[in-house]
Amino acid sequence: MSRPPQHPSDSTTVREHSRAGEHATIGTYLIVAGILTAVTGLEFGVIYVRRLAPVLIPLLLTLSAGKFALVVMFFMHLRYDSRVLTFLFVAPLVLAVLLSVAVMTLTGEFLVFRR
Amino acid sequence: MATRVETQHHAAVSTHAGTGLLSWLTTVDHKRIGILYGTTAFVFLLVGGLEALLIRLQLAQPDQRLVTAGFYNALFTMHGTTMIFLAVMPLNAMFFNYMIPLLIGARDVAFPRLNAFSYWVFLAGGLFLNASFLVGTPPDGGWFGYANLTTRPFSPGTGIDFWIFSLQVLGVSSMVAGVNFIVTILNMRAPGMTLMRMPLFVWMSLVVQFLVVLAFPIVTVGLIFLMFDRFFATHFFDVAAGADLHLWQHLFWAFGHPEVYILILPAFGIVSEVIPTFARKPLFGAPVMIYSGILIGFFGFGVWSHHMFAAGMGPVADAAFSIASMLIAIPTGVKIFNWLATMWNGTLRPTVAFHFAAGLVALFTIGGLSGIMHASPPVDLQQTDSYFVVAHLHYVLIGGSLFGILAGASYWWPKMTGRMLDERLGRVAFWIIFAGFNLTFFPQHYLGAIGMPRRIYTYSADTGWGFWNLVSTVGAFGIALGVLLFAVNAVRSLRSGAPATGDPWDGRTLEWRTSSPPPPHDFDEVPPVYGRDSFWREKHGDAQGRKPTPPPRVPEAHGIHLPGPSHWPIVIALGIGLVAVGALTSVALVLAGAAVMLVGAFAFALEHHANPAHAHQVGGLGIDHRKLAMWTFLGSECFFFGTLIATYMAYKGRSVVGPSPHEILNIPVTTLSTFDLLMSSLLMVLALAAAQRGDRRQSRLWLGGTALFGLIFLGFQAYEFTAFVHEGLTLQTNLFGSTFFVLTGFHGGHVTLGVIWLLTLLVLDLRGRLHVHDAIKVEVAGLYWHFVDIVWIVIFTLVYLAP
Repeated sequence: MSRPPQHPSDSTTVREHSRAGEHATIGTYLIVAGILTAVTGLEFGVIYVRRLAPVLIPLLLTLSAGKFALVVMFFMHLRYDSRVLTFLFVAPLVLAVLLSVAVMTLTGEFLVFRR
Repeated sequence: MATRVETQHHAAVSTHAGTGLLSWLTTVDHKRIGILYGTTAFVFLLVGGLEALLIRLQLAQPDQRLVTAGFYNALFTMHGTTMIFLAVMPLNAMFFNYMIPLLIGARDVAFPRLNAFSYWVFLAGGLFLNASFLVGTPPDGGWFGYANLTTRPFSPGTGIDFWIFSLQVLGVSSMVAGVNFIVTILNMRAPGMTLMRMPLFVWMSLVVQFLVVLAFPIVTVGLIFLMFDRFFATHFFDVAAGADLHLWQHLFWAFGHPEVYILILPAFGIVSEVIPTFARKPLFGAPVMIYSGILIGFFGFGVWSHHMFAAGMGPVADAAFSIASMLIAIPTGVKIFNWLATMWNGTLRPTVAFHFAAGLVALFTIGGLSGIMHASPPVDLQQTDSYFVVAHLHYVLIGGSLFGILAGASYWWPKMTGRMLDERLGRVAFWIIFAGFNLTFFPQHYLGAIGMPRRIYTYSADTGWGFWNLVSTVGAFGIALGVLLFAVNAVRSLRSGAPATGDPWDGRTLEWRTSSPPPPHDFDEVPPVYGRDSFWREKHGDAQGRKPTPPPRVPEAHGIHLPGPSHWPIVIALGIGLVAVGALTSVALVLAGAAVMLVGAFAFALEHHANPAHAHQVGGLGIDHRKLAMWTFLGSECFFFGTLIATYMAYKGRSVVGPSPHEILNIPVTTLSTFDLLMSSLLMVLALAAAQRGDRRQSRLWLGGTALFGLIFLGFQAYEFTAFVHEGLTLQTNLFGSTFFVLTGFHGGHVTLGVIWLLTLLVLDLRGRLHVHDAIKVEVAGLYWHFVDIVWIVIFTLVYLAP
């Protein structure tokens, strides 16, 4: 007959601990900050390049998403932290983006489909 | 004052239990807070019920003149708002508070003082809403508050203001409670209590907390827009300025439909505990029941526009929301069939709790079936705004939610009070409520089908609606009589009920493993968990009758420490209440309330900081409670800012007068402020790294630097706002001004809070009160700071850079 595990509370915990062992270094932080600076400069620059006009919005969204991901993964440590935390943030984030696109579409007559 | 007592197993317990009024005002015990929620919510249930009876009396006969049309509007507005936010939600909160820690084998919730704060804020919101009756201006715009009918030109009194501010206050209470319970459930389960071993009630509560923290920000933003339109003459719902009135409906129902599941899923959880107990069988297909609950919660976010089929969204949107609404019937149907399968061949004990649970299965099925009809746009167009919908929603919310709550109240009453209810009187109450309910609401299907609209205060005799309305009114008094009998039974039980043992129902789950009522520390020793229905296995063994081997008793090394009482939760709630009252009366009162709130919040935080027992809060997942709470909150903030940004984008280019964004936005300056904020994030991680290695000189330097960069960002924002005002763009100028200032202003507000937080940590550090073990506090503040940064990354792209 099964006996209750003493600790930790379940097998997930063991996996979480092993993942939490890693850490970013100061060097990593400085590299990320450098990339963020460069991408911000790039964002500022591309809006003045006429030839990029047809792809400007997807380009800006991609650059912005990259900056967003870098801050979340490295400065907020989500790359090194428990997957539970990733779920707690990324699932609502995705849902919020979907909901926002839906509201924009339904009230703004643009993006995914017309009314 | 803390005392130490010896339990039956000689574990030293530090407790703070008292019996006087002050002990209740300062309590942080989850069980007492549960009782406070239950008692207050029951009073509000009676108030909402009284409003319902007045509505039914007015409609009992044609051409009735019992109340005026205006007061009738106020009655149905207050009835809906009260029943949803002040009765059913807090009655569910009673069970969350009292039962969740017991069901997962914990001694309290993750944040006991925040739990008390949630209750006092809820009370403040409830009293504030009902104070509108005392000043003679109750809200009269419906519980849905459709804008622009609720904007100042169409609703000039203070009624809608009472409604807006009370919902905002109640939203704070729900949000804080939601985060608290998510952390509690994820991080405070007893050893062995894996997610799939959790009782169904805990699972459904977990899904509900996610719905609360993700759905409430949407309506919060909608209410902010409405408040700005009413108080600051913005244009969010001003059609002449280019606004789209669908916006309010989308924001309201994107919250409003998940709210339906916020109300019903706890009842599903309760019934999933009651039926197996009284059928003496395990819950049929428990894992599928869990997945169904999760699916219902998930789909709940994608069906809101079925409330708007009559609003003219077009065939594509109608089809998408129709399909999603029909899909949600699948996991709901799974639950109904699984409850039936659990009863099938069970040794049924027809207790009062079982009666209410079975009643829910029957009545919710009827409400669910009429709900599927509404999922079809052509059918919905015939039923919209008719009494058919009134019948449907009451079959769901009374037949579902309230029957579930009454099942739970009957089931857990012995645990909460240590007394048994009178089963005979309880059964009489059940049958009167059951009969009264069906007499009230079943005829309303027919009334709707023959054309009676909702929200009319009277009708003429030649409509032919008189007889069934009279029947409906008689039924409503039947419900009232039944609820009264239920209350009489409760009072009699408290006075002279038979004493309850710890396990009066031969229960299956951990709450029955402790005394009735439980001691302040819940369990003398952390209960062992042997699987699903752990206590049942412990008592009766598995299918072959083999009982588990108990683990060796390990006394808790430092005894059991319970959190001490605190008066700061009620002080902060008082401050919030004062701000709400001041918003309708005087700015001085707003400032006074804000000061009370601020002082209370600092004292609350420092009380926490000064208590060494709070230094280590790592739970079963190996994560600090505070960090888990912050990430949960940030998930919720995604919805808050997502809604603000979506509104800005939806209204982009719709202003009927200038200036437009490309004429006024200063991109080079904003690029500099963006760079500043990004670099503040770098300083923040350097501060955290220094705090973690105990380098206080560096941690002070980087914390101060982060705060300074935050202040520089705010300086940029002040410069930008001032320049815009000089160039003729204000909140009131056009839709662009309204959406831009509210979006960036709320972001600036978040930055301001972050700066205050960082400066507080810096002061603690300078006073030598931020040690290595306090690095978690820097980490949690840092998470908030980085989030503010990533929100700005999105705003910078979508508002400033995108053409």
